[in-house]
Amino acid sequence: MTKKVVVIGGGVTGAALAYDLALRGLRVTLLERGSIGSGTSGRTHGLLHSGCRYVADVEVARECYSENVVLRRIAPFLFEKNGGIFVAVDESDLEYKDFFLKKCEEAGIPVKEVSREEALKLEPNLNPDLKAAVLVPDGTFDPLKVILSFLASAKQRGADIRPYNEVVGFRVEGGEVKAVKVRDKVSLREYELEADFFVNATGAWAKKVARLAGLDVPVKPSPGVMVALDGRVGFRVFNRLNKPGDGDIIVHHRGTSVIGTTSWVVEDPDKVEAPREHVELLLRRGRELAPVTSKLRVKAVYVSSRPLVGSLPAGTGREVSRSFAIIDHSREGAGNMASVIGGKFTTARLMAEKTGDFVAERLGVSTPSRTAETPLAPYWAYFT
Amino acid sequence: MRYRLVVRRYKQGWREAEYRAYEVDVDPDTSVLDALEKVSLEQDPTLTFEHACHHGVCGACGMVINGVERLACVTRIGEVARGGVVVVEPLRGFRVVSDLAVDKSRMFSQYALVEPGTLERVDGVVELEKLFDCVECGVCYSACPIANTFPEYLGPSVIALAYRSSKDGKVPAVLDSRRGVWACHAAFECSVRCPVGFKPGETIMKVRRGFLSGKLGVR
Repeated sequence: MTKKVVVIGGGVTGAALAYDLALRGLRVTLLERGSIGSGTSGRTHGLLHSGCRYVADVEVARECYSENVVLRRIAPFLFEKNGGIFVAVDESDLEYKDFFLKKCEEAGIPVKEVSREEALKLEPNLNPDLKAAVLVPDGTFDPLKVILSFLASAKQRGADIRPYNEVVGFRVEGGEVKAVKVRDKVSLREYELEADFFVNATGAWAKKVARLAGLDVPVKPSPGVMVALDGRVGFRVFNRLNKPGDGDIIVHHRGTSVIGTTSWVVEDPDKVEAPREHVELLLRRGRELAPVTSKLRVKAVYVSSRPLVGSLPAGTGREVSRSFAIIDHSREGAGNMASVIGGKFTTARLMAEKTGDFVAERLGVSTPSRTAETPLAPYWAYFT
Repeated sequence: MRYRLVVRRYKQGWREAEYRAYEVDVDPDTSVLDALEKVSLEQDPTLTFEHACHHGVCGACGMVINGVERLACVTRIGEVARGGVVVVEPLRGFRVVSDLAVDKSRMFSQYALVEPGTLERVDGVVELEKLFDCVECGVCYSACPIANTFPEYLGPSVIALAYRSSKDGKVPAVLDSRRGVWACHAAFECSVRCPVGFKPGETIMKVRRGFLSGKLGVR
């Protein structure tokens, strides 16, 4: 009999996981408390990482770049493939350059240094005082459309996608989760949903959701502020050639430029507001990269909470990558439940593949993941 | 500042919609979307609405705000409130799923006409690609008097996207029909309400001129 899996969370991780599991032939139901992508994923700045931002950790950088290539291959229509540019604005940036180039090479990321003149010819709105520039294979995307593509692909393999269905409790008996209790906000009823395995893919909310089953997840919600400007100041992604820091990136997609980001840690991702000083800092730092940004109207200020992995208690987690972790809840009395935390939007497919391997192993399913080779359905197929 | 959000509520199985008022304390430059989210998190978890990017690029949060179609994420509450009151209703011209969330399949089901050009080529120093400026929010359907009364109409954004992704001077044949550009009454509400200046109305007129002059063919 086909095994049933419930995936909780309709962000990019849950969506990619629903697709991964459905491709393996499992019967998947995805539950999301709000609309699709209404949590962290929908609110990213929309950067398809080349990995260059993380070159200090070559493993993470390599992982980003290889996923970047996979996503462009399986869904070329989702990404603006104009690349990115890292620019040195001051002396400290310039000092970082040799390290940066060496690490990019180690990670196997194809980058190319260009002269100041060439950089300004390609992107006339960059700071004219720039001291060095490196082209990198960044990309940009509309986050919602990527999530919908994963879900459309999952639906085509029989997955049941239920937005506006919030998990409000779990029924745990004899060391197993038997069912989730769900509030359906479309028809205002509550119901129970049984399954063979449950995955908590709620990211920054993973601790809150796990707590409903008496379980713990070491996630640290880490919000970041982004400022969206009305107008597009470049085609490529603008990055500061330095260690990752506040306000060191401008991401362009459609007709918008987004200056990102800041970072702090909170307890509850449902109680987050953008501190005014963060907005001022981002605007100031954005001007250093592209002075013209000071002339653009601020269209929106928004905050998105990353699901950072906290310290993993011995034996409860299995760090499958440097950047994300699958938490096995067996030892806490829920043998058929796992939580997945950490990661980046760019690495969601890989997270889903590894989580899918974990779930498949537990359910005795031997079908391997096929998401890296199978073309994604277009996002509009979600609606048809 | 204290604002009163009056939200049109509808749930599956209800005979008719009802309006419910929520009081919310926010700055005047808070977006209507953030105010709605605050209500859903603090007062009423059953309140449903579509949202994702919160900065005007994904098109999820199109709504009718004090009678006018807007993206709730880039609409400051202080700029649209009248006497501190903001009435929020779902987009017109689509089936209501739950409260402010509507079913946009009417628009997206026509996207076979738009394929494969979801990326726009841009002339520049080198070849560049960008996503279309159209954010696919459905605001133009809601604002259009024809889309509201003629369910088979392809709709403003789909016609404009089909034209923008045309190849060798040819567009899908259905554009040259009663369901296509000839249904338009040139109200231009689509262009007026479009939150990103995509101007579907002007494109529809261009396609008409193309058909009449024979410069635009069908495939």
